Parts: sequence; structure tokens; C-alpha cells
Amino acid sequence: MQLYLPIAEIPVDPFVVIFMGGAVGFLSGMFGVGGGFLMTPLLIFYGIPPAVAVGTEASQIVASSVSGVLVHLRRKTVDFLMGGFLVLGGGFGAVAGIMIFRYFRAIGQIETFISVAYVIFLGSIGALMMVESLRALLRSPTAPRPRRKHRSAEWMAAMPFAMKFRRSGLYISPIPPIILGFLVGMLAAIMGVGGGFIMVPAMLYILNMPTNVVVGTSLFQIIFVTAIATVLHASANQTVDIVLALLLLTGGVIGAQIGARAGRHLKGEQLRALLALIVLGVCARLLFDLTTPPLSPFIVESVS
Amino acid sequence: MILQHRFFSTLFGFAAMLAAPNGFAQTSSSTAGIEIALTNDKVEIDTSFSGAQLTLFGAVNGMENPAEKIDIISVVRGPETNFEIRQLTRNNLIWTPGDAHKIENAPALYLTNATKPITDIAPLPDQAKYRLGANHLGVRAPGSSEENANTAHDLDYEKAFLKENETKGLYRDAVDGVAFKKGSLFAIQVNLPANTPVGDYDVFVYLYQDGALLSRDTATLLVNKVGIERRIYELAHERPVSYGITCVALSLFAGWIAALAFRK
Repeated sequence: MQLYLPIAEIPVDPFVVIFMGGAVGFLSGMFGVGGGFLMTPLLIFYGIPPAVAVGTEASQIVASSVSGVLVHLRRKTVDFLMGGFLVLGGGFGAVAGIMIFRYFRAIGQIETFISVAYVIFLGSIGALMMVESLRALLRSPTAPRPRRKHRSAEWMAAMPFAMKFRRSGLYISPIPPIILGFLVGMLAAIMGVGGGFIMVPAMLYILNMPTNVVVGTSLFQIIFVTAIATVLHASANQTVDIVLALLLLTGGVIGAQIGARAGRHLKGEQLRALLALIVLGVCARLLFDLTTPPLSPFIVESVS
Repeated sequence: MILQHRFFSTLFGFAAMLAAPNGFAQTSSSTAGIEIALTNDKVEIDTSFSGAQLTLFGAVNGMENPAEKIDIISVVRGPETNFEIRQLTRNNLIWTPGDAHKIENAPALYLTNATKPITDIAPLPDQAKYRLGANHLGVRAPGSSEENANTAHDLDYEKAFLKENETKGLYRDAVDGVAFKKGSLFAIQVNLPANTPVGDYDVFVYLYQDGALLSRDTATLLVNKVGIERRIYELAHERPVSYGITCVALSLFAGWIAALAFRK
């Protein structure tokens, strides 16, 4: 069966697309990650134009983050004030990201740019995760885990406009969260990701937020930033394919539920090592495509 | 695709063709003519579009047993589009696209069907004049003007442009699809690929005998998106902000539904 995508302007097999959404949804449910950083490269491998893959994935992440954040709202594990500042920075970051995206699109280098950005991010995140999880797996199970010290972030409290973030139990300036939000928002717009894989560690280790509010607050921020990125991609680049997005999220929500159940049977370190392998695999494939001589040494594009 | 079978127009076309020979009493081949009609002058792209078959019906007038004497070439070309072509070169470790070379007003789709290879039917000047065959499309890379002959470099880009479009199935010279029916009637099957661009097309049919052009006829064709396909495309391009907000609203709604569906 074939379905013609209105914006990507190519026919695809809808069942293959739903299955791809399901597979990535499975992984994101299993590992508790957004999955955008796997979905976008997968769409590119499937033959979706990279610019459309990025724009469309932004809208799909809106949907999957909404499902996720509702659970956290019920548990009251969202720091709205912190989230608000992250969104503020993220909005500006998304605008900056779209401008960079448009620039590279105008000079015809957007495909290379997206691929290189992915190789750098997937490569470094994957390697870090692999090292960390291997270390955890090799550590003897009886040895005490190194305890994370709750360092008072004095340098952040010393910055201007310092205020109390009640739910996170922090007294810091809003400037660091705004800057963090900006950087992640920029990535979201350029790469078609939510940015949770950067945001969550940054919240834990830089802002020193408590673990229980990190995921909910990150999802809260991702919804707004990817929503802004979707509208910007749609209006500036016309690269959001709603039919493709709906197919992906149909598979995605089902996959996520199955994945979440499967994930309960695996240990955290094993999960992280497995995810690191997948991330490095996708990175290797992108690197391979970038470095091997292309089948055709020419690219033809129509210009309006 | 939805083929709107226009029985009446087809029948009318046939009737006109059958009637036409009566107007030409001569049997001399020099007055032989050709006329064509399309079964559908619209091709509609909807969600299930995966290519289409276009049938050109035609008649050769003023000639007995035309199938044995003549050759036919059909050309489907359109819409005129500006292109950019870039060459990938190795840049340190990775392959990156180089500077864009403009190729202006080239057809986005160019399909020919003929009774035998075009080079065996039409003389070289005709191939250039009527742009028969992808090699005679007159595709020009920039830097090449009338007084300034093409540099070898530009020729490379022009060749690469043709080759790329052939690979994508957008440029094709086929030696099949032309079938003679009863008497002076013939039909040409043109396969439009799944990536057929939207726009206005011209259809040309040329009648040749022993390397001499006897007659030609033209028709027009419109390729259009229809249904939800068209509405989504138009909304996305004409009111992109509304479209973006709609996408976000749909995504929010879908996410909420999913959360409800799997709530325990």
C-alpha cells in the first residue's frame, strides 16, 4: 500500500512508517527518552527529505511529550517557575535555530549540516553513556554507589535576580535556566529533537535540581519549545508534514506503552548500555553516509 | 489516482478522427496529417497516487496502412522549472555539496515514446529544433551564453543534470508504448512516475516518414493535487502560520488522547 505525503511529496508505505514510529516509541518507552534523536535520522534513512524530517519530528515530539507530562502533572513533579524560564530561553533559542536552519538551507548545505550535527551529538552522548554504564556494570554490586552531593550552587545564587524555586528547593538566578533553555531550544529547532538528553543531565548536574522534578519539568519545557519550533518550521520553511507526523505518533504511542512495560524487566545500567549501543549505531551509519563516496556525485534541486 | 473517465470526450475525439480522413481525399503521403486527443487532460494526485498511465489517442489522416510506413514520436514535457545543481566533493573527511549552478527553465518531467529510437526517426536538425530526446532539451548551465561556447565544466553539469533526472525517472526516452489500432488509429501509453511534479504540461506528437516530418499536433495536460492532499498542501503554503498552529493543536490533542487511552 502506498500513501502520498502532501508536504514531503513522496509516496511512502504507511505501515512501514507506523512501524518505524512504533519501534522508536518502544525504545523511548523502554529508556524514558524522547526518541527524536533516533526518529529524525531514521526518517532520513527512509528517504524523507532531511528538512521535512526535522520539521515533522518537532510536531510529533509535541504529542509524545503531552502524554508524558500529564503523568507528571498528576504527581505534581513539574516545577512551573523553572519550566517557565526554560521556555523563555527555549523560545528565543528556537528562533535562533530556525534562522541558522534557513541559512544553511539557502546555501544548500542543510543536509550535510543536519548529518554533521547528529554525528557530533550522537557520538559524544553515546560515548558518554557507554562509558558511564560500563563503569556501573563493572562496579561490584556490593560496593556503595558514589553519592551525589547536593552542592549549593553559590555562583548561580550570586547572579542577579536570584529567586526561590519552591518545587526544586533551589535559590538561584533565572539566568542559567534561560541560557540552558536557549541552547536546548536551538538544538530542538535545528535537529528535530526535544533535547531531553541534554536538558535532563544539565538540570541534574548544573542546576542541581532534585531528580524527581527533572523529567516532568523537562517534558513541560519540551512541549512549548517543540510547539514553537513546529510553528516556525511550518511558517518559515513549509517542512511540517502533518500526515507523516500522525502516522509516526500512531505507532509511537503504542510502541511507548509496550516499551515501558518491557523496560521494567531490565536493570538501569543494562538499559543505558543498550541505548548507548543504539545511539552509537545510528551515529556510525550517519558517519558512514557522510564519508563514503556518494552513489551520484551531483545533487539536483528545484528552486522557486 | 482518480481517473475521470471522460467517455463522451473520448468518443467525440474518436468520431472527429474518424471523420477527418474524409476531408482529405488525397492519398499522397505529403498531405498526411496527425491528430491526437488525451483520454484525460487532467491527472489528479491524491493520497493514493503512485504514478499514472496516460493514454494518447491519435489518428493518421490521408494515408493507407500507416503502421507500415511511418514513425511516431510523442513528447510529454512540463512544467518549466528553475533548478540548482551541486557537485559533491570530498572536503577533508566528509562529502559536501559545492557551489550551486543554475539551470533555468528546464522541464521538470520529460518523457518520450517512439516507434523506434528517436535518432533513427528524426534527422539531427529536427532533434535540435523540436527538442526531441533528453539530449536535445537545450539544458544550459550558466556561464554558457550564445557567443560564449560551453566550457567543458558547464557540459559536465548539463550531463549530470540529465543523468540525475534519468535516474529519478523524470527524464526518459522509451522505445515502446506506441500501438497501432484499427486502420489509421493509434494509442500511446505514457507512464507518469510517482514523483510527477504538479503543473502544466505540453504534449507533442510528431509523424515521420523516411526521416521527413509530415505532421505534428499538440495537446495540453494539467497535473494537479486534489482532495485532502490539495487542502493540506495549499494551507501549508498559503497560510503557513495557521497550518503550523493547526499541526500543534492536532499534536496536543493526539497526545492527550493517547494519555487517556493508556491511563490505568
